[in-house]
Amino acid sequence: MAAAKKLMSVSRDWRERDVRVVLVALIIAVATVATIALFANQLQRTLVSSASSFLAADRQLEAENGRPVPVEWLEEARNRGLETGQMIEFSTMVFGESGFQLVSVKAVSDEYPLRGEIEIQPSQDAPREIVGGGPGQGEIWVNPRLLRLLALNIGDTLEVGSRKLEITRLLIREPDGGFRLSSLAPRVMMHVDDVSSTGVLQEGSRVEFVYLFAGADPVLEDYYQWLEPQLEPSHEWEGVRDGETFSRSLERAERFLLLGGSLAVLLAAVAVAVASRQYALSQRDTVALLKTLGLTGKGIGRLYLRRLALWGIVGIVGGLAVALPLFWLLVRLLSDVLERPVDFYLDPAALTPALMTALVSLFAFAYPPIRRLRSVPAMRVLRSQPGETGREAIPDMVLAVVAIFGLVWLYAGELALVVSLLGGLVLLLTVLALVGWLMVSVLRRVRGGGNAWRLALVGLYRHRQASMAQMAVFAMTLMLAATLVLVRSSLLDDWQAQLPDDAPNHFLINIAPESVDEVETFWSERGAPLDTVYPMVRGRLTELNDRPVKEAVSKDERVNALNRELNLTWMAELPDDNRLVEGEWFAPGVTEGVSVEAELAGRLGLKLGDRLTFTIGSEKITEPVTSIRTVQWDSMKPNFYMAFPPNGGLTDMPGTWITSFHLAEGNKLLLNEFSRQYPTVSVLEIDHIITRIQEIVRQVTQAIEAILALILAAALVVMAAVVSATLRDRQREGALLRTLGGQQSLLVRSTMLEFALLGFVAGVLGVLAAEAAVYALQVRMFEGTFRWHWQVILPIPVLSAGLLALFGRWQLRPVLSVSPMLLLRRLE
Amino acid sequence: MNQMTDLRKADASPMLRVAGLTHKVRLETDTLTILQGVNLEINRGESVAIVGRSGSGKTTLLGLLAGLDTPSEGTVELDGSEISGLSEDERAKLRARRVGFVFQSFQLLPALSALENVMLPLELAGIEAPEKRARDLLERVGLGERLTHTPRQLSGGEQQRVAIARAFASDPAILFADEPTGNLDNRTGQSVSDLLMDLNREQGTTLVMVTHDERLAARCGRQLHIEAGVLTEPDTAREMAD
Repeated sequence: MAAAKKLMSVSRDWRERDVRVVLVALIIAVATVATIALFANQLQRTLVSSASSFLAADRQLEAENGRPVPVEWLEEARNRGLETGQMIEFSTMVFGESGFQLVSVKAVSDEYPLRGEIEIQPSQDAPREIVGGGPGQGEIWVNPRLLRLLALNIGDTLEVGSRKLEITRLLIREPDGGFRLSSLAPRVMMHVDDVSSTGVLQEGSRVEFVYLFAGADPVLEDYYQWLEPQLEPSHEWEGVRDGETFSRSLERAERFLLLGGSLAVLLAAVAVAVASRQYALSQRDTVALLKTLGLTGKGIGRLYLRRLALWGIVGIVGGLAVALPLFWLLVRLLSDVLERPVDFYLDPAALTPALMTALVSLFAFAYPPIRRLRSVPAMRVLRSQPGETGREAIPDMVLAVVAIFGLVWLYAGELALVVSLLGGLVLLLTVLALVGWLMVSVLRRVRGGGNAWRLALVGLYRHRQASMAQMAVFAMTLMLAATLVLVRSSLLDDWQAQLPDDAPNHFLINIAPESVDEVETFWSERGAPLDTVYPMVRGRLTELNDRPVKEAVSKDERVNALNRELNLTWMAELPDDNRLVEGEWFAPGVTEGVSVEAELAGRLGLKLGDRLTFTIGSEKITEPVTSIRTVQWDSMKPNFYMAFPPNGGLTDMPGTWITSFHLAEGNKLLLNEFSRQYPTVSVLEIDHIITRIQEIVRQVTQAIEAILALILAAALVVMAAVVSATLRDRQREGALLRTLGGQQSLLVRSTMLEFALLGFVAGVLGVLAAEAAVYALQVRMFEGTFRWHWQVILPIPVLSAGLLALFGRWQLRPVLSVSPMLLLRRLE
Repeated sequence: MNQMTDLRKADASPMLRVAGLTHKVRLETDTLTILQGVNLEINRGESVAIVGRSGSGKTTLLGLLAGLDTPSEGTVELDGSEISGLSEDERAKLRARRVGFVFQSFQLLPALSALENVMLPLELAGIEAPEKRARDLLERVGLGERLTHTPRQLSGGEQQRVAIARAFASDPAILFADEPTGNLDNRTGQSVSDLLMDLNREQGTTLVMVTHDERLAARCGRQLHIEAGVLTEPDTAREMAD
């Protein structure tokens, strides 16, 4: 079937504008979905592994009672195929030649870290290096600040208790550093097997044994099920997801990527639908001829199905050809930002949504108009038949809408998102119908004439069906693109606001009550004033309404806060970034009650008035819940699950004070002076963590930009598809107008005006619909607050008018460059 | 198929038999009658011209005779098959085997070369060695040197020659031609109609041609006139009226 085959070949198809639009739209849809799915997958894995690296493992078991856990526990873990490792953390004095210093020691086993890497410097001047393991026996790695404090050098010896260790490396960053408030600065790291020879650990020493576990999630879960009944209150099992500082930001980024991807798919689907309909219309003559020559309806159906399958293959192969390099590029960026190599993780399962997209686009959008080709009358070869009225397409549209929203839902997994978008679109189409009706009734009165304005208005009226369709698609495209731009900028603003340049990057812990004022003066004199200083008392929540809390709360609710000591505080005023959800804040003079963080309250099922009993040391206090508040966990300030009123039940309990502040990079040496003056105050340096979060945000932003570019490309393809829909009619009219003596400039002006008007109205509607959608998304999904975006409301209609005017001018090219006669003949 | 073969053996039966053919089109407000009670018999090997002015109904009649459309009333028997009772697909199969077409606007597929355009009906009808037959026919219409040219690279006259070659490719029993010279100048029209008549004679095909060109009509063995949907045959007008 050489001729018939050739008739249906992709290379031949490519010469047809409508097919090109379909193929490009398909490629964009597949590429977008594949890139996002692959990258989200990669991001998830990379970040979970980097989040895991905050623990240096997938799970940690901490024994705060100063005693190692039974050896069988670790044997059991290894028998189950888990990797294990061990650390001992304690504080002690170390001695150099010129002095001594309180340090926080982390003694690690050979396996450390199970996840993540350690950053070191071989000497003060050498470049930083990333290594996969800790110091060997007889070695000690120290924080650079300690070297300066004790005037030591690499190669010198440091005495830890009765053991001399050689300083071999500078410890810049440990994967699990910085998140534990009990860690003391400056840090040194040594081998776990050297600990006993130091003799510093005595019965009753303040020491923490930490066990590291890594392996597959289900195995870890099973192990925990086995372990849990044996755990004592002083044992704490910690997973990655708990207390993660930026998980919320990431979640939002992921949602944004999904939203973006959905919009790209939506736009591409619109392009596929418009172009396929156009293509089907252009194929009617061919089909009529094939029928005349004896091809049956079934044969026609098969012919075009085969063609659709070919398009699908081209779309999928082409889409992947775009997606894979893009994905590679994004992973490279990711690895640059994280300053470490990132393994490619190409999950074939992540390609499923891309394949689904291609199939759904083809069968829900491209197929219906092509299927109708089967019923083209053969008689068409002798006499042109009435074309489609558009009514036949209504069931197709219903199918398409259901398909696309099903796809978006399946893909983004967010009903709220689908409903927001659908709501925005329905609103848009309703307003559009209204505006269209108004326009048609106004334009009907315009009389034609030699004036460009009048010609433009008459043109709009004459093409009212096409004009309305174009306006709908333009408005929808603009709405989707504007939604995305708006959500993106508010998302980025949000992050920026979350981590401003002067965000606190150091914590001071363990401030003795009597030195609070002095410490505040120390730092404010040096230009780094402290944020609010909060008292901190360690205690456990033990009873809920006079029942032991472990009984009162169902076992399914694995509430980490219950497994460990909580930091309790008292405060007179609600911190700026906390928000009261229920109840009332402590009135002045009130000494009763406790304010609980909202999420914890939710998980424990707490209501106002519930009585909470805390065990602090050997004492118990019981207070009713008087308010529930949200906390900004990622604010980098001290945050508390439980807050009491001043002079309440907590006031007489032994405690220390905590605060955070911002210290510029150049002022780091002040820490040495501070540590010398206040050796018992612990300084927690979290500037590394902040930098890292900022890096990740930057990375995600780049990914978002890349996705945005794909989406704008999809928007352009939609526009091209819609414009090409009326191209021939307009060209024929232009040629006729010229034949009848219309001047080129008149033609150009009236066409550009017609399109500009179209673009302006579409722009206004699109932007308003975008605001509505953003309102819904912002408030419902991204938990933000809504404001009007004047910066886009004004320029977008103007831009869209300009852009469409240029589009109009561009599509006139053939009319202007070729003689009217030639053009009319070509359009025959 | 068996029935068709049997009827073909009975050479005496007419190629085309039309009885009481009426065609109406429903408009928004009323119904328009395009053809009114047409009766007609065309014998095998005959060449018949249907002449009439624009809008007289001749193209509609051609479409109904060829089974491209179905009438509101009446019957059309083509080569022994009552086609108004056939489904669209059955009519398509019948056309593939028995019917050839030549159109005013040539109706070549612009994407295919001359050779491929001629091969297409042969492939659709499942005829073996389509290329050989297509080449021979293009040689015969004088386009042996232009096999690979696409319609755009051919003149109007050349395009119509390709269309004629295509029409005869599947060796049809009957050929329908709709204003075959309507889009051509006089001289080209003349040579194209020469070719059409010659081939028709050589192949012994029945020819039904619609035209408003009296000279072309005069070259056919029989002329029918159509006006306002009513068909008359000058010589036998009286008989037809009865």
